Amino acid sequence: MAFISSGYDPKEPMKNRISDIGPRKYDDFYPPVIAANKGKWLYHEYLQPGVLVHVAESGDKVFTVRCGGARLMSTIHIREICEIADKHCGGHLRFTTRNNIEFMVDEESKVQPLIKDLESRKFAGGSFKFPVGGTGAGITNIVHTQGWIHCHTPATDASGPVKAVMDELFDDFKDHRMPAHLRVSLACCLNMCGAVHCSDIAILGYHRKPPMLDHEYLDKMCEIPLAIAACPTAAIKPSKVEVGGQKLNSVSVKNERCMFCGNCYTMCPAMPLADKEGDGIVIMAGGKVSNRISAPKFSKVVVAFLPNEAPRWESTCKCIKQIVEAYAADARKYERLGEWAERIGWERFFEKCELEFTHHLIDDFRDPAYFTWRQTTQFKF
Amino acid sequence: MPSVDFMGKTFTVDEDGFIDSYDNWCEEWVQWVKQQEGIDELTEEHTKVIQVLQEYYEKNGIAPMVRVLSKVTGFKLKHIYELFPSGPGKGACKMAGLPKPTGCV
Repeated sequence: MAFISSGYDPKEPMKNRISDIGPRKYDDFYPPVIAANKGKWLYHEYLQPGVLVHVAESGDKVFTVRCGGARLMSTIHIREICEIADKHCGGHLRFTTRNNIEFMVDEESKVQPLIKDLESRKFAGGSFKFPVGGTGAGITNIVHTQGWIHCHTPATDASGPVKAVMDELFDDFKDHRMPAHLRVSLACCLNMCGAVHCSDIAILGYHRKPPMLDHEYLDKMCEIPLAIAACPTAAIKPSKVEVGGQKLNSVSVKNERCMFCGNCYTMCPAMPLADKEGDGIVIMAGGKVSNRISAPKFSKVVVAFLPNEAPRWESTCKCIKQIVEAYAADARKYERLGEWAERIGWERFFEKCELEFTHHLIDDFRDPAYFTWRQTTQFKF
Repeated sequence: MPSVDFMGKTFTVDEDGFIDSYDNWCEEWVQWVKQQEGIDELTEEHTKVIQVLQEYYEKNGIAPMVRVLSKVTGFKLKHIYELFPSGPGKGACKMAGLPKPTGCV
């Protein structure tokens, strides 16, 4: 298509430039019942998985229907969301912090028609467009990252594994059978964008080979001291190399000190490390962010490596299902996965989830590693 | 990588318009970036920022942190943006011929 100007004049880029206006104020978009009762809510209930009702002091009620979203969406899909909101909710809707979509109505009679409408919509391939669920003690949406769609440092894909895992866990999206919330997150490299370090189950992209060095370009493209400082294990040092008879500034990597974090590639484009066979997935478990009963926890590595198996990541799905089922069967009510594992002991966690314990799982990063070893005789055979 | 011909010189640039190597920087490059960045007139202040960046890069191998650039030049960040509308990274570093900023930018 030919170029169509928005009115911006590239010859005078600062003319009529509007900046620092921030986002639109949230209350511009409140449904009337939310605006009228803001700060005056008395209590709430789950009517069924995916449906909440909040009751205000005035007696007003707002019914919220939550449905899954793929997070990565086309404008056509957004328009369909808007069309549903226009039809049922007076044009109002919201997205949750886990990228689910919430439609709000002010009368109970409007709830079932809305659910029926949402559940009736499917993509041509057969997937639900708006599956209702994601509330209470179930498994809600997976917080995830960019993966092979858009990022340059990933060790795995994001949207692909998330779709595969949510297919596997779909029944729990629409159910409340878990002992407590079970949050699943994914990050495609250990930058850990999102919530993998604090989720009940986390899927994490992982490399297993040191970076390759493009000596010819390294000094031109990179600020060498930054690449050196990016390394958490000090495996990188400056060096001079000879390429085609020319002495060039570059770096050298001590491979036995490298743990393949990829931080140096983030800082220096001449140090790529992605590798088809080397890259894969690490599974972590037991994190949480809430303060309920126990303090927030970091998730811990429980599976050191699973291969990338595009497009369905079978072994990742199987492993997660295994952990979910063991937790659902054994944990007490209100017990998050991390609380359960700590109560029964991690040796029992590995036994119940039928996971193999390997030396990779033993912390060896600096002084704090010591505190993760067991300095007691208290353990179970 | 694409190249640009400007004032009788040829520069190799990446897709964001950063020069391929600091060694290929020259006065013509400044004029080229000036035109690309929508800067009307190169003042002494522009030159000072570029000079500080280049001296720092030659000495230390990295671009200075924004606070360092501010302190050495005496220009507040706001003023640096007035000089280089794209900012110290995309504007000034590009004009000074430094490598493209990396990391989560």
